[in-house]
This record gives sequence, structure tokens and C-alpha cells, in this order.
Amino acid sequence: MGRILIVDDTMFMRTLLKNILFSGGHDIVGEAADGVEALARYQELKPDLVTMDIVMPKVNGIEALKAIKAADPSAKIIMCTAVGQEQMVKLAVKSGAKGYIVKPFQAPKVLEEVKNVLSA
Amino acid sequence: MFDEEAYRKLFVEESRENHENIVNNLLALENGDDQQTAIDEIFRSAHTLKGMSASMGFDAMEHLCHSMEDVFSLIRSGRREVTASLTDLLLTCTDAIEEMLDAIEAGGVPSDEQSGSLVHELRAFAEEGEPVDQKASCDADPEPAGEGDGHPVYTLTVAVDPSSTMKDVRAMLLLQNLEEIGTILSTVPSRELLEDGKFDGPFEILIESEAGEDALRTIASGTEISLLDLSFAQSVPAVIPVMTGDAQPPGQIPEPQVQRAVKAEKNREIKNIRVDIQRLDRMMNLVEDLVINRGRLEQIAKRHGIKEFDEALNMIGRSVSDLQNLMMGIRMMPLERIFNRLPRVVRDVANHDGKEVEFFIEGGETELDRGMMDGLTDPLLHIIRNAVNHGIETPEVRAASGKPPKGSLRLTARRDKDNVIIEIEDDGAGIDPEILRKKAVSKGLMTPEAAANATKDELVGLLFEPGFSTAETVTDISGRGVGLDVVKKTIESLKGTIKVETESGRGTKFELVLPPTMAIIDVMMVHINGMRCAIPISNVVEVAQTRMEAIHRIGNTEAILLRDQTLPLHRLEEMFGRAEMSETLVVLQNNDRRCCIAVDTVDGQQEVVVKPLSRIAGNCRGISGITIPGDGDVVPVLDVNTMV
Repeated sequence: MGRILIVDDTMFMRTLLKNILFSGGHDIVGEAADGVEALARYQELKPDLVTMDIVMPKVNGIEALKAIKAADPSAKIIMCTAVGQEQMVKLAVKSGAKGYIVKPFQAPKVLEEVKNVLSA
Repeated sequence: MFDEEAYRKLFVEESRENHENIVNNLLALENGDDQQTAIDEIFRSAHTLKGMSASMGFDAMEHLCHSMEDVFSLIRSGRREVTASLTDLLLTCTDAIEEMLDAIEAGGVPSDEQSGSLVHELRAFAEEGEPVDQKASCDADPEPAGEGDGHPVYTLTVAVDPSSTMKDVRAMLLLQNLEEIGTILSTVPSRELLEDGKFDGPFEILIESEAGEDALRTIASGTEISLLDLSFAQSVPAVIPVMTGDAQPPGQIPEPQVQRAVKAEKNREIKNIRVDIQRLDRMMNLVEDLVINRGRLEQIAKRHGIKEFDEALNMIGRSVSDLQNLMMGIRMMPLERIFNRLPRVVRDVANHDGKEVEFFIEGGETELDRGMMDGLTDPLLHIIRNAVNHGIETPEVRAASGKPPKGSLRLTARRDKDNVIIEIEDDGAGIDPEILRKKAVSKGLMTPEAAANATKDELVGLLFEPGFSTAETVTDISGRGVGLDVVKKTIESLKGTIKVETESGRGTKFELVLPPTMAIIDVMMVHINGMRCAIPISNVVEVAQTRMEAIHRIGNTEAILLRDQTLPLHRLEEMFGRAEMSETLVVLQNNDRRCCIAVDTVDGQQEVVVKPLSRIAGNCRGISGITIPGDGDVVPVLDVNTMV
């Protein structure tokens, strides 16, 4: 099971995701509410995996992804996305995202994706 | 899938923040402020709201936010413009969202009824005259790949789960992951079509890799991906058209962003947490109990005079004081919380009345106890609506009287010694004292003679009398059957005062003076007929001695003459029982009106915690709360408002 950093600008989504991941036996090592915080927490915590929201204040998820990948090319990042954001997710994938989960989150799908990305 | 009740509170709270952000940025857009930032902010908040409401299963709200997000996505890319009618539509949407949030907070589920037609309108706006650059952006051009360099080549037949929400992204992830362990020589259908999601059913990938079958199997059986077939392909075709995509090598990341991110982190030191207000109230109660019990301990210590005990008690005393101050500070909230709602109100009323108003807010950072915030909202709304509705004139009228066509409305807040002062000032028509004079007579509030002799201040003071409204007609905006008398009562219930200054033709200014907190006040402790009671020091003018002869009967009441002033005298017999008349009087004041009460003794001045009467005791006229001073006695606090 992995050590996971959750990045989302709302506490609501973070809590939701935290509970799903926790139920899958993962260890939530930290949370960040924007892209700036995401990079800082990543460097501080070195998690196995990051779940990254795309639309966030200050630095958005794509930019944060790029920054984290620049700092650590082996970083495993899963994008949190919603229907209609295909283009953004593609951009993220091209920038090195390893997977994506779609809101509203379905626990089995989230856990499956996390497991697959962690084991890859 | 999860217990939604557990999330409801958090959902409502964060949704309200996003809702407010949308409203304020819509207004900023309308004012011509930084357009791009405002559009981005609205888009972001609409998107966030959509995601959160979808997670809670509030479909109606999700659909509405989704439509708003779509519209702003078009605006962001420059394919639509923000028009006045769109702003109106969007503000109506935010109203609908607010109603939904209210419903959700109350434990319900919002229905499509409210939002269905709005979604249609938004869609119509998004769809009309869709420009042609809708073609999915495909930024990779096919280019010939290098020839296979002798590694084994495999053919993979893969299917994406039909229930996948973004099968194009799935396909793209798969191809990208495969590329990490090999070279994709070709795909059927083409990679371009796969990445655009233009495929049904399984597809084939020809890949050259030396990672081995197992590695390929692992990658090709990821989330929502199933590997149907994997076979070793014999020959390497000479030249195969392949799409390489334009994935950035991981090393080449724009440097400035990283630096920006690191730099911003250094400035981010404040960490906030959210605390349930009820918990804060409970904590406040406990701190108050501590304060009370400290007082009791001090009295006990005084009786015994143990040095060590006194020292320890001293230390505790200091900690309790610090704790109390800290607690008071935590309960403080910036007035912005309620001010932020007002620009919208000003806009709506101004639009409705065909007026132009520039609204300034200053001092939103001024803090007030959160317990008073709720009570302040309605009075402020009322005064602001009034100012636009009745105060500020239409542009034509203003131009005719030599004023700029755009009226100005200024809301300022500031801390002044022990009080918070809030002023609402407009440069509108003001109130004509002559009209007040006539109205005072016609409403029977003054005799014609009294009215003729009344000073301007007295006339203006009539505005706060029940049923006295200067507007000729009651409008659906200001006149909701609530007058300034209610505003005044509300402010007084917050232990505040309200004053109005008006200059005919020049404008009107309301001044609210409020204590920053209601929980701890200075009181004068007195004995009335052998019983202790507390009087808020803010209501006490002086303590005077009088002689029985100075007391006169006027009709049913008694009055005394004190330094050329006749003051009604209350003995509070119905509260404390009949007693021998004492000669000590406390003169009380509330809003320029005075009276005095007879007391046995004045015991001194003290800072106390006022607790509201419990629901069991109910409202008790004349008593605003109780306090428990050091000795553990329960002492009523007089409500001077009801006496003067």
C-alpha cells in the first residue's frame, strides 16, 4: 500500500478522497490545497503517489504536475478530473501523469487506478 | 457510496465560499476590473462546485454549475463575450445556487425545478452561433518513425472498458506507458484516432520492445484496459508510419514555474484550521465557567490567607485571563464576511430603480464577535437598500441638481477605542425636515405646535419611530413592512446605538456604534431592596444622592428634579418588591433619554461575563441576562432599554 499526497483546493474533496484511499489501506501522508503547496509538500514528504486536482487557485494542477516531474521525474501522479476535461487530462498525460480518476469518485475505480499506478 | 451526511456541512461551507467568489467576480467583471482574473476565478469556482455537488449526488446543482462552467469555458477561450444580459442570467443562477445551498443545509436535496430553465438558457447561450474552431485540437502530426533496430516486435490487441469515462485518455495513457518500455511502430486505428477517442471496440498496437512479454502484459492490463491478445510478430516492417506524440521529455520542464512555486512557499506561513462554531461556543462557555470559578477561589483564598495557595492562584488567574482574551480573539471575525454580500444588493436595487451607484467599502477587516455578525446583517441590508432606493436619485434628477449622475454610497467600518463604528453614507437627496414635520403631525406623533417647534434632530429621530416611513410609495425592494424602528431595535439588542444625520439635497449618513463583543461587559453592581443586580456601565450616567422632598408625583409616575432636569424615577418594585425608599439614585441613559432608579447601595464596578437567560426561563422583560460574580451568586443584569 502506498504513501499518498492528496492535492485539491477543497477540503470536501480531500476528505472524500482521503476516506476512500484510507479504506483501501493507503497511508495519507499529506494534503495540499494548491499547486504551490503541492510541490513543497512533495519535496518534503516524497510520497509514493500524488492525486492532483486540475483546477486550483494560484498554480493549477498541470503546472504543479510539471513542477513535481521536473523535481522528480519518477514521481507518480494521478489526475483528478471531471467529464469535459479530456483536453486538460491529455495535456497532463503528455506532461507525465500516470493515471486519472473521474469525479464523482467511485471508490472501487479510484482504488483500482491507485493500485495499478503504484504497482507499475 | 458514502455517508453523505458526514460531508454535508463541509460541502455547504466550501460551496458558499465558492458561490460568493462567483458573485463577487461577476460584479468585478461588470465593473470592468481585471477581466481575465475574474473570468478564471468564476470558471474555477463553477468547476469546483460542479465537482463537489456531483460527489454529493445533488444533480440539479451539478447540472447548473456544469452549464455555468461551459459558458465560462467559452468566454475564457474568447469565443463568447460577457454581456449585460448574460451577467443577469448568471446572477440569477447564483441565486438559484444559494437557494439550493440553503435547502441542502436544511437537510434537503435541491430539485431541478428551480434550475432546469436556467440550464436551458445557459445552454442556449453556449450553443448559439458556435464558431468553427471547435475541431478537437490535435497537435501531433504523423511523421515517419525510425526503423526497428533489431528488438523483438509484438502485436497487442487491447480493449478499453466501454464504461470508461474518458476512453481517449485511457488509450493515450496506455500508449504512453508502453512507450516507456519500447517503440510503438503502428496502431490500428491510427494513434491520432485513438487519442481522440474515435474508436469502437478493440485496437491493435505493433510495438518493438526488449522488455519481454510480462512487462507488456502488466502495462496492457491497467485500469479499464484489458489485453485480449499478445503475439510475437516476426518481421519488422521497413518503414511504418507512426505517431510519436509530443510528450515532453521529463527533464525539460519550464524552469520559472518551479522557482515561482518554491518562492511562494516561503511566504506561506499562516496555517488555518476550520472549527465548528458550536464547538467554539462550547469552549467559550467553559472559559467563562473558569473565569467565574477563579473568582470563587479568590474569595475562598482571601478567607484563609495561605501564601502558597495565593501564589498558585495568581498563576492560574493569569492563565485564565490570557485564555479568555485568546478566546475572545478567536471569536472575532472580519466584517468582510457580511460586507461581501452587499455589492450585489446595491447592484440589484440600483438596476431595479434605474439608478447608477458607485459602492465603496472600507475597513472590511475590522473585527467583530461572530455572535453579533448574524444580527447585523439585516439592519445593514435594510439601510443599504434604503440608501439606494430612497436616498440616491436617478441620474437625470442628479444631473439637474448639478451632481455627478453616478451616486456614491460609502460603507466604512473602523475600530474606535472600545467600539466598532460602521457608517453608511450616501450623497443622495437626504431627508427634508419639513416633510418630516408634516408627517409627524399627520401620523399623530406630534401636535402641530410641538412639530412647529421641534428641532431638526428631534424630527430626524422620528425616523426610528414605528410606522414612520418617509417614502411616498412602498416599493418591493425597501418597503417590506420593516421600518427603521426594527433596525434600531436590532442594533440595540446588540448593545449598540444608531444615529442618523441628513442634509436635504446633500445626502444621509447612518452611524452604528457597536461593542466588539457582547459576552464580557463592565457593569456596576448595586443592591436594590436587598437584592444584587448589575447595570451595564455603558448605560450609567451618574450616581446621585437625593432627598425625599425632591421626589414629585406626576400622574402615576414619580419624578425627581436633578440639576434642572426632570427625570422619571423607577423603583423597580415589580421586579424586586416594595422597599423603604432609599436616597441613592443611579441615573441611566439610553439613546439620549434618561431616567433614574432607586438603589440601596452601589457596590462597585466589575468586568463580568454575561450569559443569556436559558430557554427554560424564557424572555424576561427588564433582564438582559445573568452573570455570576466571584462569590458564585447569580445576579441579573438589568436591560436598561426597556426602562428608559
